[in-house]
Amino acid sequence: MSTDHNKDALEARLQERLLLSRAVPGDRLMLAEATLLAALDGSRPLTPNERTALQQSPLTLRRFRHLALERREAGQAANDPVWAGSAGMLRAASSAAVLEQMLTDDGYWTLHFLPEGEEWQVILTLSAEAPFAARLLREQPMLRVVDGGGAIILQGRLDADGECERAWPFEMAPAPHFQMYGASFAVEPVAL
Amino acid sequence: MRLPGTRYQEHGWEQVRKLLGHCSLQAFRQIELRHAPEPEQHTLLLDAYTEAVAASLRAHQRTSRAEAPGNSYGDSVSELALSLLFELQAQPAFWQAFMEVMAAEYARSGEFWRDPAADGILRKKVNDMFVGLRDKVDADNYIVATGRDCSPNKIYTYRMLDTAYGEIARLFAAWEQHVEQVGAILGRELAGLPIEVRQMKSIGGCKAEWIIRWSESLERFEGSPGPLHTRSKRFASLKNSPEKISAMLAEIGDYEELSSNMDRGEDSLGEAALWMEDYWRVIGESEQQEAAPDVVDQILQAQEDAFAADQSDGDDAESEPGRRGAASGEEPGPHLEALPSAAQLAREQDAAVALSLSPRYLELARTAQDAGSWTLRVLREESLPIRLAVYHKLLGPADDSYPHAWLDPATGELPTLQQLAALDGISMPTMRKRRNEAIDKLYAADRAAS
Repeated sequence: MSTDHNKDALEARLQERLLLSRAVPGDRLMLAEATLLAALDGSRPLTPNERTALQQSPLTLRRFRHLALERREAGQAANDPVWAGSAGMLRAASSAAVLEQMLTDDGYWTLHFLPEGEEWQVILTLSAEAPFAARLLREQPMLRVVDGGGAIILQGRLDADGECERAWPFEMAPAPHFQMYGASFAVEPVAL
Repeated sequence: MRLPGTRYQEHGWEQVRKLLGHCSLQAFRQIELRHAPEPEQHTLLLDAYTEAVAASLRAHQRTSRAEAPGNSYGDSVSELALSLLFELQAQPAFWQAFMEVMAAEYARSGEFWRDPAADGILRKKVNDMFVGLRDKVDADNYIVATGRDCSPNKIYTYRMLDTAYGEIARLFAAWEQHVEQVGAILGRELAGLPIEVRQMKSIGGCKAEWIIRWSESLERFEGSPGPLHTRSKRFASLKNSPEKISAMLAEIGDYEELSSNMDRGEDSLGEAALWMEDYWRVIGESEQQEAAPDVVDQILQAQEDAFAADQSDGDDAESEPGRRGAASGEEPGPHLEALPSAAQLAREQDAAVALSLSPRYLELARTAQDAGSWTLRVLREESLPIRLAVYHKLLGPADDSYPHAWLDPATGELPTLQQLAALDGISMPTMRKRRNEAIDKLYAADRAAS
């Protein structure tokens, strides 16, 4: 806990409190959105009066903080790799009598099959190793898993653990189903 | 009701209010309320009140009321009560108003807070303070989250509409028992199940004219006038502005839908450092630009609102034209404190042991300070316990950024203010006074830097 990183964090936390916790009676938003954003992206620096207005208004500083963090998050998102879909095959080894799981070729998605009495549950799991994992967990896009015949096996959004669980929708058990429909599957983002 | 940024507007508020009332009554028996008529005592009284209520809230932390959800973002009732309590520090006008009320009552009936029969009156006064404060804090939260203007009055109006919607939904659900009233709301006679009853699934589907007609007919059906039609006229102008009502209903509805499966992101440890970096950069770029005189200031004008607080800002004219500390290279090098003498160490150890802290607590805590930090430079005259008390007040007893050596292993938090006072060999009032003076120094240095 005594690394330099934490010392910096402690210092920044205290200075943040000093800026934001000051009691300023009648405080209000002093600068418009456009003014704050232009100052943040460097296209139009604040004038001295605007600078003073910002520094003396905890409320305006809090809006500045909100915009600054939002901007950083958006910048982060622009740098995250984009994912357009992954596909996988039913392997010889996984064609045993009871199919337990299938993996996409890129190794980032697993379909798990859990027997539940006569029925099956199917769980889609995103590997934390996937380069696009952070983006998908943040944006939570609608996802779809289709079989080799194009039928939808599962549709939904990942939960915070990167999983999506549904009831297996077909009459036939997973192993014979895949053998009948092209022995393949794909995970895709759903364009809404 | 949920709106962007707001935290205190959901059903859990009733419990937050009661918990704050209960803990305040306990606090009033511990603090020197008879100083309420002396304005120069208000800050110290607020400190003592905040500490006493915070301690009482912590003691109640495990009760079912305290653990109940206070809103749908995962804040419990006791967390909300505690955070609202600390908002008083940043909004002292509410405390001052409360002190004035207390002073007036004291002048009339003496130390009435010692009389259990006065509990009801006290509770009511505390309640008034926090009710006003929560709308002020949430109006500010809304502005921060959206960049749009807001006021406590506007929050109050949103809530009135939300409650009105709830009443209408209740009547719709039992329309067979309220055929006439539902007919009055819809503006027509009912012939069988009205389709509107099935179509209104959320506040976003509630029509402004239903709200207006509900309010208008309320006196006829329930005996007291509706909020748009009371004599107080508070919402009177709204009944002629259905488009305004529609927009507000739609906003509540849209946001409820949007936020229904959203967790509030907790502040992460590094967040302060991230935006402070942007802050110093923006300030620096602005300072370098000083020479360009032809840029017109874009400063927003104050909006008209009934809640117009005192406009005097706390800025004194002779703030020094200094440079900011942390990011500037012109500052003197790390300031090293004089090492404590053997006698001082021995004294410190005795004090620490008496408090069940490790004998070397102060020695280790001293080593764990960041010698080069801006904070330490500004507070180099203060003792270590005073500096720790500053952190205690500004960041709370527990913060992820605290070095281990500062924490009491028994609690995992900074020592309490009482312990810090004992470590420093001073009384609690002296501790509070010196701590507040140290915080003022930080504010002054921070302002001089700007």
